[in-house]
Amino acid sequence: MKKRVLVVDDDPKHLLTTRDLLELSGYEVAVHNTPFRTTEIVQTWKPDLVLLDVNMPGLAGDRLCGLVRANGNSRNVLIMLHSSNDEESLRESARHFAADGYICKGDIAGLRRKVAAALGC
Amino acid sequence: MKDTIRDAPRAGELICSREAISPMMRVDTVVDQLFRKQQKETLALVEHRQVHGLAMRNKVFSILFRRFGFELFGRDPIIAVAERNPLIVDEKQPLEAVLDLAMQRPLADIYDEIVVVDGNGHYQGLLSVKGMILAQGNVLANSVVQQELALTKAREMKKISEIKSQFIAHVTHELRSPTNAIIGLAELLRLSPEGKLTPEMEKQLALLSASAVNLRAIITNILDLSKIEAGRMEVRSESFDLITLLDEVAETTRVLLAGRPVAVRVVTAMSELLLDSDMIKVRQILLNLTSNAAKFTEEGEILLRVTEERGAVLIGVTDTGIGIRDTDLEKLFVAFTQLEDAQTRKHEGTGLGLTITRQLVHLLEGTIAVHSHFGQGTTFEVRIPRQSGEREKRL
Ligand SMILES: Nc1ncnc2c1ncn2[C@@H]1O[C@H](COP(=O)(O)OP(=O)(O)OP(=O)(O)O)[C@@H](O)[C@H]1O
Ligand SMILES: [Mg+2]
Repeated sequence: MKKRVLVVDDDPKHLLTTRDLLELSGYEVAVHNTPFRTTEIVQTWKPDLVLLDVNMPGLAGDRLCGLVRANGNSRNVLIMLHSSNDEESLRESARHFAADGYICKGDIAGLRRKVAAALGC
Repeated sequence: MKDTIRDAPRAGELICSREAISPMMRVDTVVDQLFRKQQKETLALVEHRQVHGLAMRNKVFSILFRRFGFELFGRDPIIAVAERNPLIVDEKQPLEAVLDLAMQRPLADIYDEIVVVDGNGHYQGLLSVKGMILAQGNVLANSVVQQELALTKAREMKKISEIKSQFIAHVTHELRSPTNAIIGLAELLRLSPEGKLTPEMEKQLALLSASAVNLRAIITNILDLSKIEAGRMEVRSESFDLITLLDEVAETTRVLLAGRPVAVRVVTAMSELLLDSDMIKVRQILLNLTSNAAKFTEEGEILLRVTEERGAVLIGVTDTGIGIRDTDLEKLFVAFTQLEDAQTRKHEGTGLGLTITRQLVHLLEGTIAVHSHFGQGTTFEVRIPRQSGEREKRL
């Protein structure tokens, strides 16, 4: 069975490219364009990995990370921050909100490599 | 404090009177000048530009108007009743030093005028002690005002520089989003099913990707420079494998070559080399060097060579590009400096790469060196401690 990746981001261009790139790498991908209802989708669709943008209107992705985790059923889902923020601040956020890692937007090789490493394929 | 000394006036600038009379002038004539017509306080007695004494109103008065004084001295030369050892200072002496000397005099003489001479001992004029005290008060007041101004200015500059770094952080972030979108979309096009792209389109796409990746690197450099300038660049160590990082850097470098016939290879006998350092900064250092190598090499190869040394790793980035003249080597690390003539320049860039690289290397407590043969190629060599930054310091 294909591994599932959920991408949450308010930028439709980014959702489009990330979905296509990950599908071409052989994953099943769902996209969601707002932080709201993310915890719900994680529970029902049960992704193996969630990629969260950091700067989203309403709720910052790094805080959303904690909310998703707080939900009993999704405590073990892998979460990575995926953002245009500079790498050093992304590293800090990932540390601070106990995400499983971070991926810099625009680093396509990094996206492929880190997703593959996280999902073990 | 330095300001106070530099701004303090010199004796020559405070002269209150340049008048002089001959030491041989008759006492009664002088008395006329001092008491009747001109009400002068003090007159200098000068002959052939040499100072012989001072005729001071209060002192002359106390001699002459004692009983018979005027009768006794009236026809004598004024020198007979003058002060013959006045305080004499050089015109270049600073105010404070002159005041010090003046105040060391006996109480009765403290307010006596002071004679100013030039370097040859020639008479220049008189200083009044009261005038000097006033002047000194002004200097002190000024220096307080100046310090206050300097402080306000420093505070303003700090605020402006904070606004500047915030602005740069904001702008670079805004620039990154569309740049990343271009990189992603170009990659998707490149992955189009076999046969959909003509060879011509593939070439154009490689250039598009390379330009976007390069733009992204420039944005990172600008943000880095601003952080370094603001002293906000921190070192965070983590354990990582340098060989993996070198492979990753080699991959990015290949994109930058946009199809030019240059091979990029990592040369090492090791399969793994663990470093305890700031991975983001090590990557930035290497990418800056390989992006230069890629920029200035038309064909041949770019080698990333790594060797171990005691407590450090040595990474060499060698290219077979245009090379650098010996005379240009020292200009390399100066911000915004590019060796090519601005008018005829063939290569893009901001001239920040090496400046930032060197700063980052120093942050990691490492060193950087360069060797080059003009027309043949260049090697940059970076030495980085295997452990650097906070983790080591915490131990
Ligand atoms: N490998 C190299 N071969 C030949 N010349 C080089 C090499 N590396 C640097 N230079 C020269 O040094 C200059 C400064 O390099 P630096 O990396 O600081 O700036 P840049 O590459 O011009 O711009 P930027 O890196 O900011 O995009 C270059 O413009 C080039 O003239
Ligand atoms: Mg450069």
